[in-house]
Amino acid sequence: METQLGKDTIRKEAKDKVTGAAQYTNDLTDSPMLYARLFTSVHAHAQIISVDTREASAMPGVRAVITAKDHQVICGSMLQDRPPLARDKVRYYGEPIAIVIADDEMQAKAAAGKILVEYKPLPVVNSVKEAFKKNPVIIHDSLMLYTKSTKEVYPVKGTNICHHQKIRKGDMQKGWLESEIVVEGSFSLPQSDHAAMETRAVHCMIMPDDSVRIKTSSQSPYEVKESISKYLNIPEGKIVVQVPFVGGAFGGKACIQPEVLAVIAAMSVKGKWINLANTREEDMVTSPCHLGLEGTIRIGAKKSGQIMAAEMTFQIDTGAYSDISPKITKAIAAECAGPYRIPNIECDCYSVYTNHPYITSFRGFGHEAHTFCLERMMDKLAVETGVDPFQLRLLNLVKAGDLTPTQVKVTASNTGNAVECLERLKAIMNWEEGARIIEENGLVRAKGISCLIKTSDTPTDAGASAVLTFNTDGSVNLDCGATEIGPGMKTTAAQILAEKMRINVNDVYVKLDVNTQSTPYLWKTVASMTTYLVGRAILNAADDAISQLMNLASIALRCPTEELDFENKMIFVKHDPELYIMFKDLVKGYKFSNGNSFKGPVIGRGSYVMGNLTPLAEASGRGTPGRSWTVGAQAVEIEYDTRLHTYRLLKAATVIDAGKVINPKTARGVVMGGMCMGLGLGTSEDFVYNEDGIVEDTSFRTYKMIRYGENPEYVVDFVETPQIDAPYGARGIAEHGIIGIPAALANAISLAAHIDVNRLPITPEFIWRERLKR
Amino acid sequence: MIPFDFDYYKPESMDEAFKCYQDLLINNKKPLYYGGGTEIISMARVKGIVFDSVIDLKGIPECSQLEVSGGKFRIGAAQTLTNIAECNAYPLLSKTIKRIADHTIQGKITIGGNLAGTIKYREAALPLMISDCSLQVMTQGGLAELPFSKAFNGKLQLKKGEFLVSVLIEENDLSLPYNHVKRTKQEKIDYPLITMVALKNEKAIKTAITGYGDNPIILSERIINHKLYNVEQKINKIINLAHSDCKGDLSGSREYKEFVLENMLQEMFSNFEKIG
Repeated sequence: METQLGKDTIRKEAKDKVTGAAQYTNDLTDSPMLYARLFTSVHAHAQIISVDTREASAMPGVRAVITAKDHQVICGSMLQDRPPLARDKVRYYGEPIAIVIADDEMQAKAAAGKILVEYKPLPVVNSVKEAFKKNPVIIHDSLMLYTKSTKEVYPVKGTNICHHQKIRKGDMQKGWLESEIVVEGSFSLPQSDHAAMETRAVHCMIMPDDSVRIKTSSQSPYEVKESISKYLNIPEGKIVVQVPFVGGAFGGKACIQPEVLAVIAAMSVKGKWINLANTREEDMVTSPCHLGLEGTIRIGAKKSGQIMAAEMTFQIDTGAYSDISPKITKAIAAECAGPYRIPNIECDCYSVYTNHPYITSFRGFGHEAHTFCLERMMDKLAVETGVDPFQLRLLNLVKAGDLTPTQVKVTASNTGNAVECLERLKAIMNWEEGARIIEENGLVRAKGISCLIKTSDTPTDAGASAVLTFNTDGSVNLDCGATEIGPGMKTTAAQILAEKMRINVNDVYVKLDVNTQSTPYLWKTVASMTTYLVGRAILNAADDAISQLMNLASIALRCPTEELDFENKMIFVKHDPELYIMFKDLVKGYKFSNGNSFKGPVIGRGSYVMGNLTPLAEASGRGTPGRSWTVGAQAVEIEYDTRLHTYRLLKAATVIDAGKVINPKTARGVVMGGMCMGLGLGTSEDFVYNEDGIVEDTSFRTYKMIRYGENPEYVVDFVETPQIDAPYGARGIAEHGIIGIPAALANAISLAAHIDVNRLPITPEFIWRERLKR
Repeated sequence: MIPFDFDYYKPESMDEAFKCYQDLLINNKKPLYYGGGTEIISMARVKGIVFDSVIDLKGIPECSQLEVSGGKFRIGAAQTLTNIAECNAYPLLSKTIKRIADHTIQGKITIGGNLAGTIKYREAALPLMISDCSLQVMTQGGLAELPFSKAFNGKLQLKKGEFLVSVLIEENDLSLPYNHVKRTKQEKIDYPLITMVALKNEKAIKTAITGYGDNPIILSERIINHKLYNVEQKINKIINLAHSDCKGDLSGSREYKEFVLENMLQEMFSNFEKIG
C-alpha cells in the first residue's frame, strides 16, 4: 500500500467550496427566523445614567428589547469580568448595551437606532502607559471580587493589571557580570483585527422544553456548550451546538462572545430562531480583537555574541475585558527567550486593562508580538557585536539539554532542528550577496531575518476523541470535533486515518460539520494542536477498529490474529495471502455460511489527552506549557526608496521544521497565509484611536489589509525532524507562518533606512519621521 | 443593509427628472439624485444620510453620452469611471479615475457622483480643474452651461434640485503632456494621501491636488510658471502658500503631506523639463 502522507491531497470540501455549495452559519435557512441587532456604545468609558428603550420597543415588528437589567450573566473564560451587555458603565467603544429583536433585520436595525442612552463620560484610559501609571483611572473597581474560572490568574489589587506572569530563571547577577555588552530596546505594537472573511454569526432557538439549539461560526463548539451552561445555569445536555464551515477564524472565533448574546436574545422569543450576525464594523470592535503590546528588553552578551542574560517586561493591551489575555500573557512569558539559550532570565509579563476593545486569541497567540521585540533585539545585538545576523542566531540557538525559560529540558523530539532551518533560509535568501544592496535610482534592496518558536500553551487536560463507523463497502466514516476553519484539517485527519488503516484516503469519508450532541469531544480547534490532538485520537480509534476487525477475521479465517495482516480494506493470512477476507464482510459483524451471525457493526473509538503538562509556578514560572515546540526561520526582502521612504515587498520566505508534512500543498498554503497576515501587521494593520479612545478605522475603507497584488514572492520550505509522540511525527504549523514575519520586515527596513524600527505598522510616514530624528 | 424604505424613480428625460425632484419636494419628501449609488448606499447603511426617494439619472440620454464631437469630449454625468477610462479620449482623466477606489467599484461610480459626492477627495475633478472644461447643469431655467471653475469650487456648487448633466472638455486639451501621481499612506488602493495632476500647454503648467486638505485645490499657476524663481524656490513658495489648506488625517500628518508634496512637485518639474 502506497503511503497516504506527504502527497498533495485535494481537500474533502474543495468542490463544495469552489462551487459555492458550502454553507456557513448565516447561509443556513432556519425558520421561523427573527433578527437581532445590537445597540453599542459610542463612548470608550462612561457611566450609563439611563437606557430608554420605549420608542424602540414600539417600533413595527419589534418583539423584544433586552438590556443588562433583564439578566444577571457575567462572562469571562479566565476571570469573570464581562457582562455581555454593558451594566452600569461602558468600558470600550462598540460595547453592546442592548439587543433588539424584530421580525426582519431592517426593523431590528431601525429600532436599534431609536434607543436612547444617557451617558456620563469618564476619563479614558487610552494606552497601556496610562493604565500602568501611578494612581491610574481604574477600569474595574471590583477586580479582586471577580470569580476566577481558573486558579492561574493573578490580578493585582488597586491596579488595571488583571494578570501578572513571572519568569525567574538562573542567576541574574551572574548573568550581568558575565555580560560584556548590553543592548536595550522598547517596542510598541498596536491592537488590530482578525478580519476573517466571514464575520461572526449565530442562529439560536430555545425549544419548548427549554433546550437550546445554537448554530455558530466558532472554533470552540464544546466550550460554547459548557460556557452557556455555566453562565445561564442550563444543564449541558440541553444545549446543542452545531458548527458548519467557518469562513476563517484566526483565533477570533475561539472565544465565546456572540453566542451568549444570541442565547439571551432567543430566551425572550422562545420557539423562534434568532439570527445575530455581526456587521464588519461590529466584528472589528464589538467582538474581540488582536492584542496590543508594549515591551522592553535588556540583553547582556559576551563580545562573541553569546547571550548571558535578559530582562524583559511585556504589557499586553487587553482592552476592556480579560477574556483569554492572561493565558496569552503566560504564553509570552513561557517563550520569552525565543528559540535561544538564555541562561539567566527575568521576565515580567502583564495583562493590562485599557478602554480599548478587548482582545482574544489571535494567530500566533502573542508570539507574533513578543517575537517582534526579541528579534529586533537580536539584530541590534548583531550590530553591536558586529556578528552576522545569521551567525548570531546560530550561535545562540537552544540545543538538546538546554532549559527553556520555564525550565523544560530541550530534546530533538520536542524542539526540532532550527539550525537546518536557518541554513536553508540563508541559501534561499542568497545571503552571500549581502543583506543591503544599493541599486539604481535611489533604491536599496534589503533583507531581514527572524527565528520563530511556538508551543501549544493548552490547558493541561486538553483532549480529543474520534469515532469511526463503516460503510458496507468497507470504507470508513470519520467524525471528530475539529471545526473546518480553513486549513483543510479534516483532510489531514483523513490522511492520518487512511495511513493507519492502510487504505486509500478516498475510502475515508469525513463529517465536515460538528454537532456537540453526536460528534465526539475536542477541546477546541486552536493552538496549531488539532493535527496532534485529533491525530492521536484517530490513531487510537483506528487501533480499536483494526483490533475488532482482526478478531472477526481471525474467526472467519480460522487463524490466530498474530498470523493476520491487513491492507487495502482486506485482512489476509501472512504466510498465505490467498486466504483473506474483505473489510466489507466484517464491518457489520461476521455472517457464517449457514446464516448465523456474530458481533455487531464495528465502531472504532479513540481518545487522547495532553500528557505531562503542568501549570506554571506563580513565583518562578517553572512548568511545562506544551508537549513540543515548533521552530523555524523566516526572512523578508524589500526594495526601499531612499528619497520617498516608501518600500515594496519583494520576497518572503519561511523554513519550518514541520516534523512530517502530511499534505504538502495545504501545508504550504497555511504557512503562506500566515506570512501574508504577518506582512499585514507589518505594513498596514492597526486600530487607530482618537483622544477619546474611539476606534477610527472600523471598516476596510481605512483599515487596510494586504491586497492580492501586493503580495511578494513566497518561498516555503520544510525540514522534517519527527516529533516522536506526534502522529507520524507531524508538528503544529498552522499559526507559525505569521510569527517572525513582522520582525523580519522590521529588520529589513531598519537596515535599509538605517533606522531603528521599534513599532508596527511600518508606514512610509513612520520611516520618514525616524529618518528626521537622525 | 439600509434600514429604511425609499421610493425609486427612473426618469427618461432631463425635464422629467427635474420635475420629479420638485414634485417630491412639494410633497415633503427628501429626494436624492442617484448615479452609481456607491456613496449613497454605504452612507445609508451607517445612517450618515437621510432620504426617502431617489431619482436615478442613468435613464437620461444626455447623462449617458460619451463621445468626442463638435470639438469637445462630452461625458454624461451618469457614465461610469470604467467606461470613461476605456473610452480613453482624455488619457489624464483615464489615468486619474483608474486610481479611484478599486476596479469593481469603478464599474459603479459615475463621474457625476464623484464630483457631487461628500467624500472629500473627488479625484475625478482634478483633470477637469486644469483643462478648458465646462459643465452642463439642469436648472430651473433649463439646461445651462457653466465654466468648470464657476460650477465647481472644491465641490460642486449646485442649487437644490439642480443636477449635473454632462462634462464638456475642449478637444485641444485632451492630448496635452500630463503628469499624474497618486500617493497613499501605504497600500496602492486607498484614498489619496495626495493625488496630483498637471498639464502643460505651450504657455504654462497647470496643477491641481487633492487629499491635501478639505477639498481639491489648484496650485498657484503664477508661482509654478514664474520666470524668475528656480524649482526649489517655486516648491517652497507653493508649499508655504498652501500651508493653510493642508490638514492631517488618518492617511498622514500635515508635516508629512508637505514632505510628500515637495517630492511630487520635484518629480513633476523634472518630468516636464525632460519633454522641454
